[in-house]
Amino acid sequence: MALLTDEVRKYIGAESTPFPACDPVEKGAVRRYAQAIMDPDPAYASDEAGARYGGAVAPPLYPAFMFRTPFGSPDVLTERAHDPDFDGLVMGVRDGLPELPLHGFSLLNGGAEVEFYRYARHGETVFQKSRYADIYERETRAGPMVFVIIETEYTNGAGELLMRARKTIIRRK
Amino acid sequence: MARVNFEDVEVGQEIGPLLKGPLQTPHLMRWSAAMENWHKIHYDERFAKEHDKLPGLLINGSLKQQFIVQLLKDWAGREGWVWKVNFQFRAMNIVGETLSVWAKVKGKREAPAYGLVELDLGIRNEKGLESTPGSAVVALPYRGREAVPYPFVPPPAG
Repeated sequence: MALLTDEVRKYIGAESTPFPACDPVEKGAVRRYAQAIMDPDPAYASDEAGARYGGAVAPPLYPAFMFRTPFGSPDVLTERAHDPDFDGLVMGVRDGLPELPLHGFSLLNGGAEVEFYRYARHGETVFQKSRYADIYERETRAGPMVFVIIETEYTNGAGELLMRARKTIIRRK
Repeated sequence: MARVNFEDVEVGQEIGPLLKGPLQTPHLMRWSAAMENWHKIHYDERFAKEHDKLPGLLINGSLKQQFIVQLLKDWAGREGWVWKVNFQFRAMNIVGETLSVWAKVKGKREAPAYGLVELDLGIRNEKGLESTPGSAVVALPYRGREAVPYPFVPPPAG
C-alpha cells in the first residue's frame, strides 16, 4: 500500500527563505519554558550566571520552539473547531515550509540530530531557514509510514549560527 | 556547575541519571502552553485514544529531548559544551510515568583545543522500557587549559 504519492514527493528540496521568529527571546517566555522543562539553570535568568554566554540566555533548544503563530494570523483552532480530524497542530507556521498534502495523517515526532554553536541571548531575534531534506515511505511493524526529514538552521540577527537540527517527522494513516 | 576535565572522564563512565516525574497531565499542559503547541495527543485523552489509537496521553517527545540536553549540559558545565545530540523517539511514554535520563561514555578523542567525549544515551521508565535511544558528542576542556571556546568552534575536519 503506497502512502507516498508523487504529489507529496515533489516537496523534497522545498525550502523556506530565512525568516524571523515572531518575537525576540523574551525573559518571561524563557522563564515559563525553563519552568516547564524543570531546568533551573540560573543562566536562563541572570546576566551574571550567563556571563560565559554574554549574558542571560535561553535553554539550548529554545530557538527551535520560537516559531509560533504571528499576531494577526488566522485562528486555525477556531477554523477547524468542527473538524474531527483536526489534531490541534497548526502546521506551516513553525518552519515556514508548505504543508504536505497528507490530510488526515497523524503526526509523530520521530527524533532529531542537533548541533549547538551558541545559545540565544535574551533580546535576540532568531531566524530560521528550513528545507524538506527527504520524504520517504517505510514499512514498519505498525504498517506503512511516511518519514519526513526537515533540516533547519537557526541564526541570530547578526547572522551567527546558533544551532542546526535535522528532524524526523513520522506521518501515518 | 563543576568543571569536568577531559582527562577525568573514563570510557564506560555513567552520567546521571536525571529523574523527571511522575509526569502528570499538568506537566504536559504546562509544556504545551510554554511552547504554544496544541497537539491534542498530549491533553485530549479521547482524541489520543479514539482518533490516533494511542494507549493514552503521550509525554511530548519535545519535552523528553529537553531532559536529555539538560543532563548533558549540566554535566559538561560552563566550561564544556554539548556539541551534538541525536535521539530517536522509538517508544511512547505515557502520562504518569517517571523518566530516568541516562548517558554513558562510549569513547574519547582529542581535538587541538579540547577533548571530545562520545556518549550513548537514553530515557528509561520505571518498567525499564528504553524509549529514546541516542548519542551525543560533548567537548570538555583539558586539565589546566582554558575552557572550550564559546561560541563553539568545531574541530578541524576528520
